[in-house]
Amino acid sequence: MLNKNNLTTFFILAIPLVLIVVSVDLINIRLLNRLAIILCINMVLVLGLQSFMGNSGILSFAHIGFMGIGAYTAAVLAMPIRMKAMALPDLYLILKTIEISPYLAIFIGGLLAALVAAAISYPLMRLSDAAAVITSFALLVVLHTIMVHWSAITNGPRTLFGIKYITDIYLAAGIAIVMLFLTLLYKESRYGLLLRAVRDDEIAAAAIGANASRLRWIGFVISAFIAGIAGGVWAHFITSFSPNAFYLKETFVILGMLVIGGTTTVTGAVVGTLSVSIAFDGLRTLENMINIAQVFPKPIVGMTEVILAISMIAILILRPGGITGSLEIGHWPSIKRRLNR
Amino acid sequence: MLKIENISVKYGAVTAVKKIDLVVNRGELVTLLGANGAGKSSTLLAISGAIKCTQGSIIFNEHNITTLTPEKIIRLGIAMVPETRDVFPDLTTHENLKLGAFIRSRDKIGVNEDMEKMFALFPILKKRLNQSAGTLSGGEQQQLVIARALMSRPKLLLLDEPSLGLAPTIVDQIFDLIRHLKDQGLTILLVEQNAVKALQLADRAYVLSLGNIATSGTAQDIASNSDLASIYFGK
Amino acid sequence: MLGQIIQFTIDTLSLGSLYALMALGLVIVYGILKLVNFAYGELIMVTGYTLFLLNASPLPWLFMAVCAIFMAIFVGISTELIAFRPVRAKSVTAVLITSFAFSTLLQNAALLFISPRTRQVPLPDIFSESIELAGVITPIRNIITIVCAVLLLIIFALLLKKTVLGIALRAAASEFRMARMLGVPANLVISLAFAISGLFAGIVGILWLGRIGVVVPTIGLEPLLIAFIATVIGGMRSLQGAVLGGYLLAFIDVSLSYSLHQDLLQFRDAFTFSFVILLLVIKPEGLIKGPATGQRT
Repeated sequence: MLNKNNLTTFFILAIPLVLIVVSVDLINIRLLNRLAIILCINMVLVLGLQSFMGNSGILSFAHIGFMGIGAYTAAVLAMPIRMKAMALPDLYLILKTIEISPYLAIFIGGLLAALVAAAISYPLMRLSDAAAVITSFALLVVLHTIMVHWSAITNGPRTLFGIKYITDIYLAAGIAIVMLFLTLLYKESRYGLLLRAVRDDEIAAAAIGANASRLRWIGFVISAFIAGIAGGVWAHFITSFSPNAFYLKETFVILGMLVIGGTTTVTGAVVGTLSVSIAFDGLRTLENMINIAQVFPKPIVGMTEVILAISMIAILILRPGGITGSLEIGHWPSIKRRLNR
Repeated sequence: MLKIENISVKYGAVTAVKKIDLVVNRGELVTLLGANGAGKSSTLLAISGAIKCTQGSIIFNEHNITTLTPEKIIRLGIAMVPETRDVFPDLTTHENLKLGAFIRSRDKIGVNEDMEKMFALFPILKKRLNQSAGTLSGGEQQQLVIARALMSRPKLLLLDEPSLGLAPTIVDQIFDLIRHLKDQGLTILLVEQNAVKALQLADRAYVLSLGNIATSGTAQDIASNSDLASIYFGK
Repeated sequence: MLGQIIQFTIDTLSLGSLYALMALGLVIVYGILKLVNFAYGELIMVTGYTLFLLNASPLPWLFMAVCAIFMAIFVGISTELIAFRPVRAKSVTAVLITSFAFSTLLQNAALLFISPRTRQVPLPDIFSESIELAGVITPIRNIITIVCAVLLLIIFALLLKKTVLGIALRAAASEFRMARMLGVPANLVISLAFAISGLFAGIVGILWLGRIGVVVPTIGLEPLLIAFIATVIGGMRSLQGAVLGGYLLAFIDVSLSYSLHQDLLQFRDAFTFSFVILLLVIKPEGLIKGPATGQRT
């Protein structure tokens, strides 16, 4: 449903992304460039998580696992053949001889992630909420295990190197804007709406013909696709990575961004990513400065995560809906009503 | 014994009970009538402490119990039998009854005495003593939860729609039971949709409609003067 | 052949005992509060680091172990007070996330204040000795594990059945509000559940550490996952289900260890999980129906 409110939301939320691209272009400091690209990629991940979690009300821990699928798929397909021979000597013959455009590879990465999600997730969608969350957690662990042990494709627990660098700020921000559109489109589509109905009252939704399992499954597959794309984009940014990039720490950060921003809205995903990224980078810089200046006898590690954890708990106690609550930023009539109350 | 002044109960934006006053004197059986959604159950839940009033006060035997927790309120002598019955389905009948006397757990002799009394009053429960409460029939469950409430030796018994979903003969049994309890001197606040039977038992009645008290008076007055159909179906 | 069967049985029972206890500790909290405690695995981490920190002291090992278990109970109760109680009223997802955040907090605290590297844990000699049973040589540890578990399960079952508090706990698990209306003190029941959960985690922790000998901040992940899966298999709300799920999971794990081809062995966890998914396809509610509530858990 592309009504006025939703388009307004889209354009308002796209502004910070455009601003980022413009300012990075103008300022042109390498570090800023890096941070901005990472921010955009994180935003894609958080948008993907929002599209499932926000609409279904189910917490999914498996999200980052699909990012990994997308990353490795894109990397293996797009890596220059000569590089592949060195980086993945045990790779299967058919893959050894393929080399496709990175852009296509990223897209295929997203598709493959979506396919895997489609194939294995249907049973999960029939589970009760808590069981679904737990099983998604186990799924993350399993995906991680497979990535760690399938050395032929992933180079095992070691770093996979040799991926081409193609992700500049334009690609990252561009994909973020596209995913922003996709997430909003899904949320306001019939599927998104019905899924939210199921989330709010499953029995009543069934009475109007909503098939809970199927709706959740659709949301899950879409979120996996977005995560896969993020993975491919990230792989071509970082150019070398290992399976540890797709595990609990990253899950925690992405989840934190969404929860702090507001799980139920796309605005929340964007606001959360922006605020946590900025805070995170600030804290990281602080942590590094403290360690370099040797203020404490031992280098402090993990301070940033601790503060993120405390912030998440605090937000959930004080403002459980996150910073933005339940309103999309473009829905002026609802905002006006809320302000008048 | 029980005095409710000006209480309101809200569920989010919906006000279920709007500033009502209510009195129950010792030894009385007072009944709360009204259609679905009139606010009867909400009133009882507010008295028992399960939900909070947004305003007003509830005084029980000189104690202000408005903000007390359910755990404290039962210790003051108010026992509640909710509309949903809430047997503990995988505990046996015996365990359900034992739990009814939770606040008197240390008085083992007294508890056993009361258990025997319950078996005399509700012989079917003795038959089902070691069965899971979840396997009991509707009527048996209703007897169980009333017995369970009585195990705490309450001064005031709150009954929420005890006849709900029960066959007519069973309903008669339940009401006979309630009459017996009244005759024994127990103070009872009874919420009922079955206005006819409730008014036969009660001393006084209040009729709720959409959260307000529409009429109140002695049971005879209400029975003869009110349009019972409008009580059932709401105005 | 008989030797193999005995070996298999001992392996399954000892591993299953660990898994069952671990799952039980998780379900106790879930059953009463409908809340998943993500910081549960960290209780094993706490047990380990307490042992490690006490190592320098002249205390006998048994005393250190008891202290470690008490620490697990203490942190368990603290988890409730810090991460659960303030958000309990808000939403189920909120509690999931706060416990996840708390888990990260604990891990990073260990990382910061103790060490990111693996640390050796003091263990009694008996843990490394072996015994011969019906022609099969097995670590005494395994037998201790099985005996501990059986004892604990029996004591726990008796407590739940025979004591008033146990009955109150079971009542609170199926109808929390009604239990309160009968005078069962809500906060006490909840803290008790977390304390028991902590006790189980502490004991599993000692036995688990007995197997691997070292502690790292991330040690809690695997036991947590196992508890999760065993609970889901067992049916989320049922105590017997959790125990059954634990033994079944161990059975699957050990069977795969014995039967998988060498190359595939490293993917054992993936196979276990696939079995579990298959099970859930057939029976989404798990093996044993939990306390009847008429709603989806």
